[in-house]
Amino acid sequence: MIIKVENLTKVFKSYQRGNTFGEAVKSLFVRKPIYIHALKGISFNIEEGELVGFLGPNGAGKSTTLKILTGIMHPSGGKAEIMGYTPWKDRKKYVAKIGAVFGQKSQLLWDIPPVDAFYLNKAIYSIPERSFKKTLHEMVELLGVEELIKKPTRQLSLGERMKCEFIMAMLHKPEIVFLDEPTIGLDVIAKDKIREFILEMNRNGVTFILTTHDLDDIAHLARRVIVVNHGEIVFDDSLTTLRNYLGVKKIISVSTMRPLPELRLPGIKITNRISDYKAELELDLSTYELNKFIALVNKSSTILDLSVQDPEIEEVIKGLYH
Amino acid sequence: MMANFRLYLQGVKVALASRMAYRGDFFMSMIIMLLVEMGAPLLTILIYHNGASFPGWTMYEALLIQGVFLLAKGIAFPFFFGIVWNTIQRVQEGTFDLLLIKPKSALFLAIVTAFDSEDLGKLIGGLTLFALSLSRIAPPGPGEYLQFAALFFIALTALFGFALILAGLGIVWIGNFRVYDIFESVVNFGKYPAALFSKSLQTLITLIIPIAILGYIPASALLGKPAAGTWSAVAVSILFLLFSLGFWHWMLKKYSSAGG
Repeated sequence: MIIKVENLTKVFKSYQRGNTFGEAVKSLFVRKPIYIHALKGISFNIEEGELVGFLGPNGAGKSTTLKILTGIMHPSGGKAEIMGYTPWKDRKKYVAKIGAVFGQKSQLLWDIPPVDAFYLNKAIYSIPERSFKKTLHEMVELLGVEELIKKPTRQLSLGERMKCEFIMAMLHKPEIVFLDEPTIGLDVIAKDKIREFILEMNRNGVTFILTTHDLDDIAHLARRVIVVNHGEIVFDDSLTTLRNYLGVKKIISVSTMRPLPELRLPGIKITNRISDYKAELELDLSTYELNKFIALVNKSSTILDLSVQDPEIEEVIKGLYH
Repeated sequence: MMANFRLYLQGVKVALASRMAYRGDFFMSMIIMLLVEMGAPLLTILIYHNGASFPGWTMYEALLIQGVFLLAKGIAFPFFFGIVWNTIQRVQEGTFDLLLIKPKSALFLAIVTAFDSEDLGKLIGGLTLFALSLSRIAPPGPGEYLQFAALFFIALTALFGFALILAGLGIVWIGNFRVYDIFESVVNFGKYPAALFSKSLQTLITLIIPIAILGYIPASALLGKPAAGTWSAVAVSILFLLFSLGFWHWMLKKYSSAGG
């Protein structure tokens, strides 16, 4: 077991402030404290070499968990033992063995090329010259960024920068890497490249903990999924089990040449009939198959456009929560 | 130790490379910094040229105090005082976390990533003013130089203490750059002979907050007329540094307990 987390809690103290000018003035002198229970006693174990996805809506407790596990934040209660260390107590020794990529916080330096930031990391982690050059060469090849690492960071696209962020996080050969929304804002091609890289590193034995809103990240990367909501773990199982949840329902948007039929059938729920020719609906695939639905609508009304999407993450989580 | 020194040098190299990406701005900023700091010496020259003076001090003796003060800032500001802005900015942007995921002391990394080349203008100005004033007074003996060196080192530790307190405040008092303006106004008292001020103010800047040590006390030692309460000021500066270190670590603990 490389990560053991037991009954982890985190309570933030904040202050209530009204929305009127009078209340704002009053809050300068008297503030009413409020306590936010960000984590309500979460427990889980992770084996060496696993690639685990943390999923959950905003404010669910994903980033708080990640901050505690990376040693940035102290918990209010509970235990965590990672590679034999307690992250917030043995911070310096512990963080030498982990890596982290934050999708919204760059470790690169804006005005100078990424390679200069890599050298700063080399000095921080005291990486021997030969090992540094070898690892850098491997990473650069794998991500295809030979030319980019010598350009000023500000001239790179978001996807190119993110590839360099990964190199920055991997140069000291960490055993565990924490990824906080690593593909946020990236285009499909960049996402694919980053995901390939993560999978390759995982095949080499690196354990990854990934937090994301993006279901595609989970689908492409994680074999195990932990869903957090309101500071609690509401799901901890294989991706296959999660797929069953996700796969049951699809959100369909359809527009047709002739008026749509009534569609009052089991497994079909019209959520928004925009016009006689256009509607949004929820299809329960366990009751009504997608190809049958398409055939039905096409036969009666001739489909002009059709999109099929997974339900919103919040909807899935709501389903998991109940 | 060597690894940390190499890391610091790497931080300086990176900061210089980063700043020199905008060459025009780099040189202009240095010149502006130099001009801003020259305000007090120019005022002193103006006072003396108009027949007035600081009682008991020649113009070059007064300029020596300001030269020492500027030299202390000229070393402190580029090499470690940048932790103030570095910390305030990082906490505000949420990137202070990135210092905590590295296997080094957060304070050391805050210094490493805070080298401020613009402030080299202060160092050039300080060296020039110091050398110029020194050339116009009776040459100090080796004993005076030795005392000066020790007191100047204490002045640097006091400035480090100020930097720690301001940076520590920046951790919990998010985005408040005004703390520096307060510091700047308060330390100005260190640029002038303490005898100019009231007894209570002299006590305050010598024995409570180590401000006189930043210019007046080391310069007095170099001139061979040690200031009253010099050794008490040294003790206060050391206590101040210890207090500041404790304060920084307390604020850091508050940060990691509360999150970014």
